[in-house]
Amino acid sequence: MSNKHITIFHGPQHPGITGNMSVELDLIGETIQKATTHVGYLHRGFEKLVERRTVIQAFTIVCRICVPEPDPNEANFAMAVEELAGLEVTPRAEYIRVMVLELSRLAAQFLWMAGQSGSIGLYAVGQWAIADRDLILDLFEELTGARVYHMYIYPGGVRRDLPEGFLGRVSTLLNYMKKRLKEYDDVFINNASFKNRAIGVGVISQEEAIANGYVGQVLRACGVEADVRKDAPYLVYESLDFKVPTQTAGDVYARALVRRAEMDQSVHILEQVVKMMPEGEVMIKMPTHRKFKLPKDDTWVKVESARGEFAYYMAGDGSEKIRRMQVRGPSLVHAYTLLESLLVGAELSDVALIMNSLGICPPEIER
Amino acid sequence: MKWSVDIQGTLSPLKILGAFFQKPNTIAYPTVKKATATGYRGFHTNLLTDCIGCANCQDVCMNNAIDMVKTDQEYNAKNASQCIPRIDYGRCCWCSLCTDVCPPDSLKLEDDYINVTKYASDFLYMPKNKE
Repeated sequence: MSNKHITIFHGPQHPGITGNMSVELDLIGETIQKATTHVGYLHRGFEKLVERRTVIQAFTIVCRICVPEPDPNEANFAMAVEELAGLEVTPRAEYIRVMVLELSRLAAQFLWMAGQSGSIGLYAVGQWAIADRDLILDLFEELTGARVYHMYIYPGGVRRDLPEGFLGRVSTLLNYMKKRLKEYDDVFINNASFKNRAIGVGVISQEEAIANGYVGQVLRACGVEADVRKDAPYLVYESLDFKVPTQTAGDVYARALVRRAEMDQSVHILEQVVKMMPEGEVMIKMPTHRKFKLPKDDTWVKVESARGEFAYYMAGDGSEKIRRMQVRGPSLVHAYTLLESLLVGAELSDVALIMNSLGICPPEIER
Repeated sequence: MKWSVDIQGTLSPLKILGAFFQKPNTIAYPTVKKATATGYRGFHTNLLTDCIGCANCQDVCMNNAIDMVKTDQEYNAKNASQCIPRIDYGRCCWCSLCTDVCPPDSLKLEDDYINVTKYASDFLYMPKNKE
C-alpha cells in the first residue's frame, strides 16, 4: 500500500445509513487517519416549523423526523402535549400505542438488518428483511391508513380504533416472525462472513459509552442494562414482561446480537399486548380538539426508540402554539462524538458496517 | 482482522438456498395488483349534498393545500359560502386532519391513490362527489 495521504467523501448517499450524511475520511492506504462528519443535506427545520403551527398542525410533521421509525416521535409529541394539557389517555389507547411502537421497533430493526447485511454485501438478507418489514407495513396500512408516516398517535389517544380481526392478523404475523427470525440467525447472525467482519470492529468501552451519553444498542452492547421502558416506564410497559438484552464485547457484532435479541423481545411484548388488549374508547372526549391551548409550562418526555433513548422537550406559553420543542435523539452524539472517534484506525471497507451499527438517522440531527 | 475457520457459520447460510423452492414475496405488478387496505388515506371525496362550505378543512391544513373555490356543480342548500374545497396534491401530505375537522363529515379519503397525468395543473384536484 502506498503511504500517500488522500481525502475522500463517504456519502452523502451510501449503504451505511438511512438518509443523507457524509463522512470526510483522511486515509493512508485503506486505514482511516481522521473522520469528520458532515450533515446539512436534510435540514427541514422541524423545531422551528412546530413553533409556527398550532398543536394539531404540528402533530403531522413530527413523524417525519425519522423515516425508519416515525412512531416514537408521535408518541413523544402526544405524551408531551398530554402532560402539559393535563390529559389522561384511556387504557385501550395506551395498549394500542404500545402495539404500534413495538411493531415500529420491529420494522426498524428489519430495516437495520437490511442495511447491516447490505453493508457487507449479503444482499439476499437485505431483500428478505425488506420483504418481512413490508408485512408489518401492511398492518400499519390497515390500522392507520398509511404505511410509513402513520400520523396515528394523537394527543388524547389514537386516531382510529382497531379494525375488525386486526389482533388476529397481528398474532398470525407474530407466529410467522417467530419462525422467520430463526432463519435470519442461520443466514445472517451466525454467518461466518458477518462474524469475521463484525467481531472486534468498532469497539466501544463501557466507560466511554457512559461518559459520552451513548444510548440504545451502543450502550447495551457494552454491558449496561439501560432501557427507558424499564428505567422510566411509560404507557403500560410496567405491566409487561420483557428483558433488556445486553452484551459485553461492545463491537459491531455485539450490537447486532443485542438488536436481534430485541426483536424477540418485541415479539414477546406484542403477544402480551394482543392478549391483554382492553375494551373501551381510544380517544378521550375533547370539546374542541382543534384548539389545544398549552399552559405556560414545560416538560421533558422520553421513549425508547429502536435506536435508543428518544426525548422531547416541550414548552407552552398559554397560546395555541408550542413555544419551543426540542428533539433529543441518539443520532447527534453517535454521528459526531462516537463515529468520528470510532473510525480512526478502521479500514475503509468497515465504514458502512460501523456506521450502520450505531443507529444514526440524519434527519434527526438536522431537526 | 482475524479470519478463522467456522464450519457451522459457513454451512448455515447455505440454508438460504431453500428460498429457491419458496413462493416469491413479490407480486407480478401490474398484472396482479394488491388490494388497498380499507381506510387507506388516498384521494379526497366530498359529498356535495352534505358539504356546508365552512372552510374548516382549509383552516386546519398546515400545508395550505386546500382552497375554497366556486364551481358550476350543484351545492347543498346549507352551503352558505357557495364554495367547496379543492386540494393541491403538490402540497397535501395526506394527514387527513381536514376530514377529522369536517362538521358534516362530507370530506373523506378514498382508497384510490393513483393519478397519472401529463398536466401539472391536474395536481389541483376537485374531490369526487361521492360518499
